[in-house]
Amino acid sequence: MSCASTHEDGHRLLERVTVVANDRVTEGVGLIVLESPRVARAVRPGQFVHLRISTGTDFILRRPFSIHRAEEDRLHILYQVLGTGTRALAEKRRGEEMDVIGPLGHGWEIPEGTAHALLVAGGLGAAPMGMLAEQLSACGVAVTVAQGAPTAERLVGQGVFEATARRVLTATDDGSAGEHGFVTGLVEGALATDRPDVVYVCGPEAMARIVTAQAAAADVPCQVSLERLMACGIGACLSCVVTTTDGQRRACVDGPVFDAAHVVWDVSEIPPKH
Amino acid sequence: MESAHNINVDMSVRIGALELRNPVMTGSGTFAAGREYAEFMDLGRLGAVVTKGVSLNPWAGNASPRIAETASGMLNSIGLQNPGVESFCANDLAWLAEQDVPVIVNVSGHSLAEYVAVTERLDAEDAIDALELNISCPNVDEGGMAFGTSCAAAADVTRAVRAATGKTLIVKLSPNVTDIAEIARSVEAEGADAVSLINTLLGMAIDTDTWRPKLARTVGGLSGPAIKPVAVRMVWQVASAVSVPVVGMGGIMNAEDAVEFMLAGATAVAVGTGNFVDPATTMHVVDGLERYCRERGIDRVSALTGALKR
Repeated sequence: MSCASTHEDGHRLLERVTVVANDRVTEGVGLIVLESPRVARAVRPGQFVHLRISTGTDFILRRPFSIHRAEEDRLHILYQVLGTGTRALAEKRRGEEMDVIGPLGHGWEIPEGTAHALLVAGGLGAAPMGMLAEQLSACGVAVTVAQGAPTAERLVGQGVFEATARRVLTATDDGSAGEHGFVTGLVEGALATDRPDVVYVCGPEAMARIVTAQAAAADVPCQVSLERLMACGIGACLSCVVTTTDGQRRACVDGPVFDAAHVVWDVSEIPPKH
Repeated sequence: MESAHNINVDMSVRIGALELRNPVMTGSGTFAAGREYAEFMDLGRLGAVVTKGVSLNPWAGNASPRIAETASGMLNSIGLQNPGVESFCANDLAWLAEQDVPVIVNVSGHSLAEYVAVTERLDAEDAIDALELNISCPNVDEGGMAFGTSCAAAADVTRAVRAATGKTLIVKLSPNVTDIAEIARSVEAEGADAVSLINTLLGMAIDTDTWRPKLARTVGGLSGPAIKPVAVRMVWQVASAVSVPVVGMGGIMNAEDAVEFMLAGATAVAVGTGNFVDPATTMHVVDGLERYCRERGIDRVSALTGALKR
């Protein structure tokens, strides 16, 4: 089987799901596991689901969450508790039901002939990279992960990275794990040492922008997963646009993963808490 | 023996020359041209698809963030991003024409001349059953709502567009006015076949961490259940003031919401923000409306229109 993937849109589903587990991972971060057989079997790395957390009228919009891992019938979602929606998500208990729309969006692509990949994750940027690391590893691609977070405790998703990557490099703002500093400080070294064929990045946009430039300077293709506020999640409402060299693109269907070289970075597009 | 529970409910309604199989439409700008929703519902079971606003030339829309969630609703400032009328006809309309559903195209413009030019172009398309004149978008600097907030401007643009098309013409009204009934009478007098209301209410939200507006454009249009009481009131006022049909919308999430609008005087209704919450909301409203009538022994849905008891 060829592991190169160029992403073809799969069928999108509306599925009733059940909470299997919902646990605190670290300060302000949770991991929810959903029994979602149809979406879990269809989802590909980098795609997301649009979750209806509440059926009340206090807040009505769905929330988009990238899939950290899909395990048989189950979706694993890492989430940061930031606003009304994610606070309500953190309250969900085993056995509660919700509905999801998914799998959605254009995920990570594995270019033909990829032998070595560098994954760069900042904070919750690790969320959409678990499945990616697993797929790359299963395809025999050597994986290097460079991960940064404010503190050691907030390096999330390390289990899947340790299980799949050849090397896991870390940096923390306070020096409590790995290098003392930002993850961007690890990238140039990893680019030089590992000579990856592709760079994947997700995290704060200021950081993703720097990594994009670092990859471009090393002449390595780079893909970035971007976050935007979304309403419909299926391409209709035009809320989640990303400015690219090809014009306005929708994060929900044209992304969330984009060719980083095509992104026109604009800090005003960084979403506020939701 | 016939019981109230197995009567056949006539769900059809009439808007101008347009016969709809049921009164449930989509709110312009929430449904694109329908293709995105086709995986989640049967477009053929809608009363009509109302497309996103179409302008003469492509519009890029506003800067991001374009939405902000608020209590029981949302603000948007999308800014009528659209590929222009030629691209719309070649792509969206070509697809929509193959679906078994009436097509109502929302017409947008920066100027009176642009409204007329778009209308003339769309008038040539047999696949279009009706036009909805958008004089109520709060999210563009020129045109949009400016045409819908004075009686004289609303009358001028309606007269010009009326002269440019023989298709059923619906004028979509802004709630951001002192007296919406007065505007409705002005467009009725210039030949509008129907009016639709309400477009979004101008609103604003501020991030208390950054002290900045939550929308890049500062202000935007409020929609969702939060605005429903305002919308029902305005539909009631307008339906009392004009004799053309009223298409009611504003926060409809279920069949009971739709019933409220019809009792207030709406002939048809549209689901907008509700499409974002559940892409099959329109189907639930269609089924629920029929059930509502059947359970009460009402044999035609149009009997609800204006049946408010006082």
